[in-house]
This record gives sequence, C-alpha cells and structure tokens, in this order.
Amino acid sequence: MRRFGRIALGAIGLVLVVGGTAHAQKKPVKRGLVWDDRPSIVFGRDIHLDIRMKLQTDWRTFDPDVDEKLYDFHSLRFGLKGEVTKHFAYEFEREVNSDGEFGDWKDVYVDWHTFDPVSVQGGRFKVPFSAEQLTGPTDTDFAYRSLAASIIAPGRDKGGMVYGRFFGRGLTYQAGFFNGDGDNGQIKEEQFVSPGETPDAVGPSFAGRVTATVLRPLPVPQRLKSLRLGAAYTNAELPEGLNSLRGKSVMGTATYFERVYVKGRRQRIGTELEWTPGSFGLKAEWMQAREDRLGQSNRNADLSDFVSTGWYVDSTWVVTGESKGDSIAPKKPLFKGGIGAIEIGARYDQLGFASASTEGPAFTNPRAEHLVPNTDEVWTIGVNYFPNRWVRLVGNAIHENFEDPNRSISPGTAGFWALLFRFQLVF
Amino acid sequence: MLRQAFGAAMLLLLLAGSAAGQTADDFFSSEVLQRVDLWMNAKDWDKLKANFKENDYYPADLTWNGITAYNIGIRSRGLGSRSSTKPGLRVDMDRYATDQKFIGIKSFVLDNLVQDPSGIRETTAMRLFARLGIAAPRETHTRLYVNGNYIGLYALVESVDKDMLARVYGSINDDVQNDGYLFEYNYVLDSPWKFEYLGSSYDGYKARFSIKTNESKSDSHIWGPIEELVRLVNQTASPGFEASINPKLDLAGFVKYLAAQSFVAENDGFVGYAGMNNFYLYRLENKDQHVFIAWDEDNSFFSTDFPINARLDENVLARTTLELPAYRTQFYTSVNDAASSANDGDWLHAEIERQLNMIADAMNADTAKPYSNADHAAARNTMLAFPAARITFVQCEVAKQLGTAKPAGCP
Repeated sequence: MRRFGRIALGAIGLVLVVGGTAHAQKKPVKRGLVWDDRPSIVFGRDIHLDIRMKLQTDWRTFDPDVDEKLYDFHSLRFGLKGEVTKHFAYEFEREVNSDGEFGDWKDVYVDWHTFDPVSVQGGRFKVPFSAEQLTGPTDTDFAYRSLAASIIAPGRDKGGMVYGRFFGRGLTYQAGFFNGDGDNGQIKEEQFVSPGETPDAVGPSFAGRVTATVLRPLPVPQRLKSLRLGAAYTNAELPEGLNSLRGKSVMGTATYFERVYVKGRRQRIGTELEWTPGSFGLKAEWMQAREDRLGQSNRNADLSDFVSTGWYVDSTWVVTGESKGDSIAPKKPLFKGGIGAIEIGARYDQLGFASASTEGPAFTNPRAEHLVPNTDEVWTIGVNYFPNRWVRLVGNAIHENFEDPNRSISPGTAGFWALLFRFQLVF
Repeated sequence: MLRQAFGAAMLLLLLAGSAAGQTADDFFSSEVLQRVDLWMNAKDWDKLKANFKENDYYPADLTWNGITAYNIGIRSRGLGSRSSTKPGLRVDMDRYATDQKFIGIKSFVLDNLVQDPSGIRETTAMRLFARLGIAAPRETHTRLYVNGNYIGLYALVESVDKDMLARVYGSINDDVQNDGYLFEYNYVLDSPWKFEYLGSSYDGYKARFSIKTNESKSDSHIWGPIEELVRLVNQTASPGFEASINPKLDLAGFVKYLAAQSFVAENDGFVGYAGMNNFYLYRLENKDQHVFIAWDEDNSFFSTDFPINARLDENVLARTTLELPAYRTQFYTSVNDAASSANDGDWLHAEIERQLNMIADAMNADTAKPYSNADHAAARNTMLAFPAARITFVQCEVAKQLGTAKPAGCP
C-alpha cells in the first residue's frame, strides 16, 4: 500500500507539473494560498490543490447499558483534492487515529474526465455499489449509514473504472475491475492453511452500476422528474475459509451473525431509489449478497448459498427550506443574518443473514446447510443542524431490535436504544 | 421460527434415539467397546490438530450405533494430555443448537489416554468409585474414527453436568437435585494449593473454581460460600470443627472420597503430588453443603506400596478433618472397605482383566498413541499384578494404623 501511495503521489505530481505548464497563461487568476470555502493552493486557472479535513466526534448513551464509552473519537481525515486542467482530478485522503498517528488510506486516485460519456478513474476509491455507501460519511442523512450499505456494499478498493453520463445526468454508468472485493469484503480473520499452502485473497472483482432519471422524458409533473432509479452488480472470487460477510450492530459494538465458511463467488445485486424534490428527500435501497459455500459442509459437500439481505427507506426534510442536494449549505448561516439550516429525518433499515436452504433443523454452526437466521431491524430518527457550511451537529435516536435475542448486543436482550450527538467539522 | 427449528431438531434426535432403543446407559456401558464416528470438514480436523492448544470449537456430525447427531461442536481439551496427533476432545451437542441432546446426553469427553500406557487406569478407578458409592462419571472405551479413518482408542467419559447430577443425586419431592452450584477445579500452574486461606477477595477462588451452573449469579452467591468454607477450615479449632464445617461440607463423604483415592494410589488427586487437582465441587441445590465429585483419575494405580496416608498432613482440609478421631477412624475403615470391595470375588482383578481384553485389539491398532505396544504390554502386566499386592499392602497398613490384628501376608 505504501508503494502504491508513492506511485500515486508521483503520478499526480507529474500531472500537476505537466498540466500546470499547459494551461498557465490563459487568464490572470489569484495564485498561491487562497481561501475558497477551504484552504486551497492555486497554481493557475483550473489547477488547484484543496486541503481537506473531516472531523467527527461522538457522544452516545445506551439503554440498556452495554459497557461502551460515552465519548467516541469517531473519525479524523486529512486530504488533498484538486483538479489539473479541466481534464484531470485527483484526491488523497488518509485517516488519523485517536493517538494522532496516520491510519488507513481512504481515497487515492486520479481521474480523467475530458468527455462526459467516457471518463476513467484509477487508484483506490469506492467500488460502484450502493448510493449510500458512495455518499461520503460527512454527507449522509444520519450519523451512521444503513447496515446494508455499511456491510453488504464493498467500500473502497484498488482498481480501474470507466464511468460516464448521458443526457446531463439523466443516465449514468460505472463499471470497473478491482483487486479485491472492497474493504468491507476483504478477509479480516486469520486464515488457516495446511503446511505448504499459501493463503488466498479475495478477488479480483467486477462491479457495475447504472442510474437513470426514468421519468424525465415522460409527461409527468416536474417534481417527479428528479426521481432516480438505479441498479448495481458485483462479482468477486472468494477463497475458502471463514470469509463470509457478517452482521455487526449499528455502532459496530457487537456481532449478531458470525462469519460462516465460504468458497466460490460472492455476488451482490442492488437497487436504489432517490427522489429529492426541493427540500424534501426520499431514498431507498435494497441489496443482497449471495456467497457460494462449495465443499464446506461437515462432510466436505456443497452447501446452499449464504445470503445477506438488507434494505432501507429514509425520508428527510430541510425545515429551513434549503435544497436537499448532495450536501446542504445554509442560505442564512448563523451570525450572518440567519440561524443556519435544520434538517429532520427518519429511517428504517434492516439487514438479515440466512442460508438459501431452509430445509431441516436450523443450526448456528458455520457449516450448517440450514443456518439459524438473524436480522437487525433499526429505526433512526435524526436532526441535523448546520450553523454554516462547515459545521454540522447531529442528533440521532437509534433503536435496534434483533430477531435472535441470544445473538444481540447483550445476549438475552432483543431491543436496544442509543442516543448519539455528533460534532462534525468539514472543510 | 427459532423455537420451531430447534424443536424439530430435538424431535428428530429423540425419535432417532428412541427408535433405536438406545440410551445414555448404553452409550457409557462399561461392558462394551464402542465405536464413535465423527464427520467433519477435512480443513477443520487439520486445524484442530494444528491448534490443539486452543479451545476453539469446530462443527461435526457424530454417529454411534446407527444414530447420528448433526452439527455438534467439538474442541481440543486437556492440560498435560493435549496432543496434536491424538487430540483429547470435548463433544458438545448444544454448541450450535440450543438444548440439543444426543440420546439424552448434552456433552461428553473423549479422553485420549496418552498419559496411561495401560489405557484403563481412569476407567477402572471410576468403576471402583461407583461401586464404593462415590459420585463419579460413567466411562467406557471407544474406537474413534474421524471421516472414516481410525484415530485411536479413547475413553468415553460422561460429563459432570446437570444430567449427571440428576443421575447421582436424584430427586427430593419431584425436585431434581441438579440446580445447585457446580464447580470444576482448575489447576493453577506454578501455584499449587492445599486449601490454605486465599484471603477475602474472591479472585483466588474464581481462578480455581470454574462455575458451570448458575453462571449469571453474583460473585458473592457463587464464590462467597467457598471463601467462607476455606476460611472456616483454616480458622476453626478442633472442638468446634465438625459443627462449623459439616453444614458446609459433607465431611463423611469427603473422607470416603479421600479413602478411595488412597486405595487406588492416586498420585494427582485431592492430595496430589503438586497440590489439589482433578475434582468437581458441587453445592447441593437449596443447601449450603458442598460435596466432591471424582474426575480424571488417570494417575491412579501409581504403585502397590503407595502410602495410604500420603500427603494427608500437607493439605489443610484433610489434616484438620482427620485430626478428629471419628473421621480418622472412618478414613482407615473406608480404605479397608475399598480393599475389601476390590477383593470381593476378586472383583478388581477381574475388572482389570476384562477391560484389558476388551481394548486389546483397539489399543494395538492405535498408531497415534505416544507409547509402543510393548509399553502397553508392560503396563498391562503391572495392572494385572496391582490388585493382589495393593489389597494386602492396604489391609496391613490399616491394621497398623488402627492397632488391629494384622491379616495374613503382612510383613
């Protein structure tokens, strides 16, 4: 990864130099370190490097108490993002942990987008699957993504992708090949291999996604024309082992479905809906992952697929009237003649795990043909307050209910409440 | 949904068991050399053997006498007996399905016999203990096959659990006496313990007495009475000892258990060579009184002239109890009773010979055992010679201690 980072940095540096030379003399522009909603180093027209920071810190309580800390240093990321001419873009982003040390790289990519119908992205970035997973963590409607988007969707990986759009953004597509199956799909458990064998990694994988404003060409009320539907698919090679997806509670404090043994392919399908007329927003997704279990029974026979199925629907309303876009910027910030922007919303989501076969008695054994299912159902009610474009205060009430009380945050109890307050600073 | 699934599993297993007319009594019948088949993913068996020092569970199917239990859990077990080539195994029926049982059995142990070249010390001792009325698990021998391959000769050991407690302690007014507090004694390495007071903190007792029932109760409910028992044993003078201790520990039962271990020359038992080891402690249901349950007697039959009062004075509980004349007399009488029982109709010799003959072929075919067939043959001869010599030695020693007439054959 370190080597990959150096290569990417070198590539972007080269593009900066070459691009800067080619476009430096068109119009005089403000150069050097400037403030344009965030600190930015401007080399010339269409050539700039933005310095980015994202900070999220949480305070939360649980009922019943689950012995978790009240304060959670949730996330701190620093990044560089910019463009080199109108043709190239790039981004670096890296996590900083609570000890102040650099952690995982997030986005590290170069993007060529001269032509709207065909653009190319290469490096490490999000695998195109799930609208909510593809939405940055500081722009999601609630403090936490839905379980399905957090666990089923692949997340980031190294790879290359072709993407484009037609009819404005009436029709979009993304298709790419990746080294693994995303951060969420990679092997996290230590693998057992017999002497002389080497452990295999997940991947390679393919992913594709299409979205369309299907009502736009039709004679329907204008408000309906922003309705966007989408579908996505991924396919990854899955090595033998305790490598399946697993169920984690909303804040990741408990595992409600342990990994099972898999081998073969992991395929995902997803559908999505997004409708944002004015200050109102409606989003929904359904997605499913199916993982092969070839030769994984107690007697080395094939087992039925391991199936993870999740969906959510959420609705939001910006009370102060701002448009519900990718991100909300207050029309009248606090201390500048207004109070900022306020958004309220509610979401229902669930994520369940089961075997495709339901014949015979069910067991929790990770090699059982019929697995005892378990589902986490989550209600989230939230308020977002934006005093200005950089700060967001989030209040969420989250209720989780587990189908199997013995596999929940606290064994024997099915329902849990959590209250969360988040301070977020982004520039 | 869950209840239906588990209910179906239970029904299937019950039907399978009852249809074949098989019970736990048949499974643990000491008269039969059993055959147990485990079916597990080849990777899991390799992993279990490679990680034999870990307690990780692996799924398996189990077949015995044509009855199969599906999706049970097995793990490596033991302390000094852990082995990568012939793992000792704990078998749990309900690991992956709540309340699943196999012919009424919730769990059992497959003892790998790696520390006993004779292969019968543990099973013989337990048979004698049961004959003497001491709480002890049922045991027999089995050939173990994994995925159709012969792994070796094992002892099939009944778990000390609620089912065993119900079998041993029965019912009082339709109330099965199996819901007391059951503890497995954990030997703490490099910290031999001989019942000295460990202080008012429960930590020392928690480290040594692993709770197996009523786990959700508070520490004071679980370990408080043990701390109190140990404190009283260490602080109570002889005149008030029985009145103070007996309500909290069945002293007569304890002395009988000590005497039985003494007769079989157990070198790693309650007064073992490195402190206390290998027993369960049970606080009877709705009572304050504790009792001892025998476990892991594979260091018995140590030698025919093993002193009958070996190390009794080193253990606080044994010493203070036997300082009372009545219990001291009971101890030697019980040792003598054990000898008499063993000698009755040549029972012990016949039992040893029967078990050795029963396991002979399976033992010789066992290539995973850490000793040779010649070693086993030597151990066989030692075991066969043990009863006569030990009975004479014990009877002579008891006569000496009690001041009674020496029987014939005494030096």
